Amino acid sequence: MLSELILIPAAGAIALMLWPGKLGPKMARDISVVCLSLTLVWTLVVVAQFDPQAGGLQFQEALPWVDTIGLTYRLGVDGLSLPLVVINALLTLVAVYSSGPEMRRPRLYFVMMLVLNGAVAGAFLAQNLLLFFIFYELELIPLYLLIAIWGGARRAYAATKFLIYTALSGVLILAAFIALVWFGGSTSFNYDPTLAAMLPPLQQLLLLGALVVGFGIKVPLFPFHTWLPDAHVEASTPVSVLLAGVLLKLGTYGLVRFGLQLFPDAWQVVAPWLATWAVVSVLYGSCAAIAQQDMKKMVAYSSIGHMGYVLLAAAAATPISILGVVFQMVSHGLISGLLFLLVGVVYKKTGTRDIRVLRGLLNPERGLPLIGSLMVLGGMASAGIPGMVGFISEFLVFRGSFVSFPTQTLVSMIGSGLTTVYFLLLVNRVFFGRLAITTPSQRPEPDICLPSVTWSERLPAIALAVVIVALGLQPNWMSRWSEETSIALQLPQPTAIAQTTVSASVSATVPATAQATGQTTAAATVLALKAPALD
Amino acid sequence: MTQFFIETSWLVPLYGLIGAIASLPWAVGLVRRTGPRPAVYINMLLTVVALVHGLLILQGIWGNGNQILVLHWLQVADLDLQLSLDISILNLGALELVTGLSLLAQFYALGYMEKDWALARFFALMGFFEAAMSGVVLSESLFLSYSLLEMLTLSTYLLVGFWYAQPLVVTAARDAFLTKRVGDVLLLMGVVSLAALAGSLDFDSLDSWVKTADLRPAFANFLGLCLVAGPLGKCAQFPLHLWLDEAMEGPSPASILRNSVVVTCGAYVLIKLQPVIVISPIALDVLIAIGAVTAVGASLVALAQVDIKRTFSYSTSAYLGLVFIAVGTEWPGVALMLLFTHAIAKALLFMSVGGVILTANDQDITNLGGLWSRMPATTLAYLVGGAGLVGLLPLGGFWGLRLGLDFLWDEQPILVAVFLVVNLLTVVNLVRVYRQVFLGEAQPRTRRAPEVAWPMAVPMVFLSVFTLLLPLLMDQMRLIPTWEYVNPPAVVMLVVSGIAGLAIGMAIPLQKSLSRSIQRPLRLLQDLLAYDFYTDRLYRVTVVSAVDTIAQFTSWFDRFVVDGLVNLVGLASLFSGESLKYSISGQSQGYIFTIVLGVSLLGVLMTWSMW
Repeated sequence: MLSELILIPAAGAIALMLWPGKLGPKMARDISVVCLSLTLVWTLVVVAQFDPQAGGLQFQEALPWVDTIGLTYRLGVDGLSLPLVVINALLTLVAVYSSGPEMRRPRLYFVMMLVLNGAVAGAFLAQNLLLFFIFYELELIPLYLLIAIWGGARRAYAATKFLIYTALSGVLILAAFIALVWFGGSTSFNYDPTLAAMLPPLQQLLLLGALVVGFGIKVPLFPFHTWLPDAHVEASTPVSVLLAGVLLKLGTYGLVRFGLQLFPDAWQVVAPWLATWAVVSVLYGSCAAIAQQDMKKMVAYSSIGHMGYVLLAAAAATPISILGVVFQMVSHGLISGLLFLLVGVVYKKTGTRDIRVLRGLLNPERGLPLIGSLMVLGGMASAGIPGMVGFISEFLVFRGSFVSFPTQTLVSMIGSGLTTVYFLLLVNRVFFGRLAITTPSQRPEPDICLPSVTWSERLPAIALAVVIVALGLQPNWMSRWSEETSIALQLPQPTAIAQTTVSASVSATVPATAQATGQTTAAATVLALKAPALD
Repeated sequence: MTQFFIETSWLVPLYGLIGAIASLPWAVGLVRRTGPRPAVYINMLLTVVALVHGLLILQGIWGNGNQILVLHWLQVADLDLQLSLDISILNLGALELVTGLSLLAQFYALGYMEKDWALARFFALMGFFEAAMSGVVLSESLFLSYSLLEMLTLSTYLLVGFWYAQPLVVTAARDAFLTKRVGDVLLLMGVVSLAALAGSLDFDSLDSWVKTADLRPAFANFLGLCLVAGPLGKCAQFPLHLWLDEAMEGPSPASILRNSVVVTCGAYVLIKLQPVIVISPIALDVLIAIGAVTAVGASLVALAQVDIKRTFSYSTSAYLGLVFIAVGTEWPGVALMLLFTHAIAKALLFMSVGGVILTANDQDITNLGGLWSRMPATTLAYLVGGAGLVGLLPLGGFWGLRLGLDFLWDEQPILVAVFLVVNLLTVVNLVRVYRQVFLGEAQPRTRRAPEVAWPMAVPMVFLSVFTLLLPLLMDQMRLIPTWEYVNPPAVVMLVVSGIAGLAIGMAIPLQKSLSRSIQRPLRLLQDLLAYDFYTDRLYRVTVVSAVDTIAQFTSWFDRFVVDGLVNLVGLASLFSGESLKYSISGQSQGYIFTIVLGVSLLGVLMTWSMW
């Protein structure tokens, strides 16, 4: 059931490689689109058969692979990974669809896109630590090449930087995984939430620290973020869409799956620091975004800020905040995907992304009115205006985190205001005013007329905008898949305010056991909740 | 049948939204053959439907008490986000006000925006605007109210930015959004805190939660101030008031709504929140202080404006300041009465002003004059609107202000003085503008001014008649007290303040040329008021420069410190590799020596603990 999500793109990639004769970009794109559409359909089949009532892993598959080192091919999906798998399929399809018809080496490009899709899906589905690591590293190769071959002027620098950073993140994660299995005395790398339960607290903290830094590079969190703006600026539009929309989610997914779920006790110790770190990341990313002149860089820094919310919610680890984690990952994927698509169209039509140069692009006949309108929508969604998915995800993050970390939550809300500042600056400078593509000091050309936008360029952006609004109006369509998982993932809450909410939710799920338990035994309850869930 | 209308009352806010969505094909230019008019008619029709539906609901619940509709929007874990509507007579009255004024404003826009190329987009935005406002007045949940206030912020941004090619509009739209957003983010902090602390966000359960809540005083104060901040921005109160003034760059039909019902929506939420705000001991005092400062300050600033729309937008801020005082002193009845009468009179005033602007193509009052004989209906509308606004004749505004005076009379003499001063200054301003615009010599721009076209005249005349008949309607609703409840000194003082304003307004010398006084103190005062106490500069040197500095610093830090460090490491490793290559001698003893040295160092390091 789940292997197909990896195999379909892989088969597509092989077909593209072996395609006889000359393969034009258009044909290659069509084949990839068909293949990814199949993947998306299959993903939706998985979604349709997914049982939202069960909190644990579903559709598990296991094949022995290299038993001697404990590597088995084990896949499974739960409420945390399911939405990400969907986003991965959707955004890769969008990215491939919006890849331009004129390009160098189309065969390699589309093969890389398909491999990337399969590898990311594999990473989200893997239930073996080594298998996860293999997919996590496998995804690097296509992405490195996608930036290094089809990127902008400084692509070599950006791609190398990305590679070194992410490889470092991989090394830390691998070290932590090996140490975990080694110290834990287990013989297999199979994922099991109790893997670390027997370790002494100090070891748990060290391993968690390595994982947090490792995944923190990928998220990215301040100060490990500088690869991201460079990579985004140099990458082509579809690659940026994937990078922001899907690849960053691997970091936050890893934090929750391997940090929170494997080390609940250590997580609770470091959670206040993580929350503070998240706030720094949010404010830093947002402030840096305000000062950017390149539209793409601005959106890239906004990603740093918005991924900070995910860390905040993950640190709090209440049922609502974990749901907020899922929501924020999905909504950030959709919104940043939309924004990068739109910036890509602007760049293609005007030849620049500099907000000091562009003006008045909303012009009805000669400008890009629909792209501008969608940009307003995307910016507003990112700033958390209700009616779009950004609002409900931020609300869940804040509402869920407030019970654990009131101060950090309130401070991070300032980031939501700062988001408005930079997207408003962007929209106001680039889209409002009189149409011109010159610096303010120069005399504007009298009647510039931008090339018109075709419907095939608009379609992916419109599709994403529709999903953003639909999920904003009906968050139930997403929350139902992840609700049980987020309840299963929660941590016992230390603070007094949280006491009531947690005991309320615990008693809602297991009335008999939880009634008698006080705060100290709540941890045991949660473990007891998790154990049957993983069978 | 009536129950059916009540149960479907959730549709009422949606009508506007449906209208907005239905006009999209015309707005984005998919349909060009028909021109934009169909979108206009769709929106007006749906507004009529909303109005009628509201009336039917009102008829249905009349005498039956209110009903609450609850929609469980999102239920996850222990979170239950409800969108509840309170179908009460008061809320429906507000709804009728919103939809009625929206219909009139759309009718008016048909004339005002006739030649605008983006007519369909304008009406789509008006539909969206109306939807958000109808939702706010019906809402019974803070969550829903907050969401809709944010949507109002968004639609204000889009409506102010309607003529987005003009430079002033660009800054006005930006400022409108950002100032309101400051209030909204603070309100969001309050909403999130309340959601976590109180559980449910329905106003009813919040009220009962407040009675038992036990918070640290500092946090309670923070919470109260956060809740005040949202309406503060929406109602254009000091220090978040500048956006309303700038927003007057937008189209006049939207200004009609913005100055009458949009600010009312913000205040309406404040009134509903007032039982929660009492949780903070200082928040009510802050409300009163802000209200008083804004009321007096904005009335003074209005006197020095030469832009006909801006001067009345400051008057809006001033009246909303009085509403803030009323809420702060816990007299919601006064606040509602003021909002109701102000909304109608101000809408009429702005219709008249819009007519002048469209005909004369100018909104600078020093360029206008002598319009009374040329535009009789507009002049009449101005007079009626002005009279309905102030406490001089027994029209709407008089009764609103009188009620305020009555309640504050015994305990708050200073606030009574604020009411009287606002009344006086408003009369002065109305008379001053009247003399400049309608009396006097005709100016080049007004010499050939015709009366406005019928689509504008119809709503204007209708609203004039309505304003004149408002006291009768209020009498029907038992809002006008019988004689024994009237406090004669208060009434006398109110009327005297009005007459004094009239006298001062008639007496002050007015010049056509934009002149500043030659007396230095007077000139300084005039500038101070004309530039709104230099609030924009205050913003610029405080918030704007702070954010800008921090952003620039962060960007610099990011580029040179964080990234610089990374690049330094990269450079160092490259450099060391480059320089180490010169140590390659080609002699194997050298290599062996290096290996032995390295291995022994490693050995020492690994066995360190044993030594």
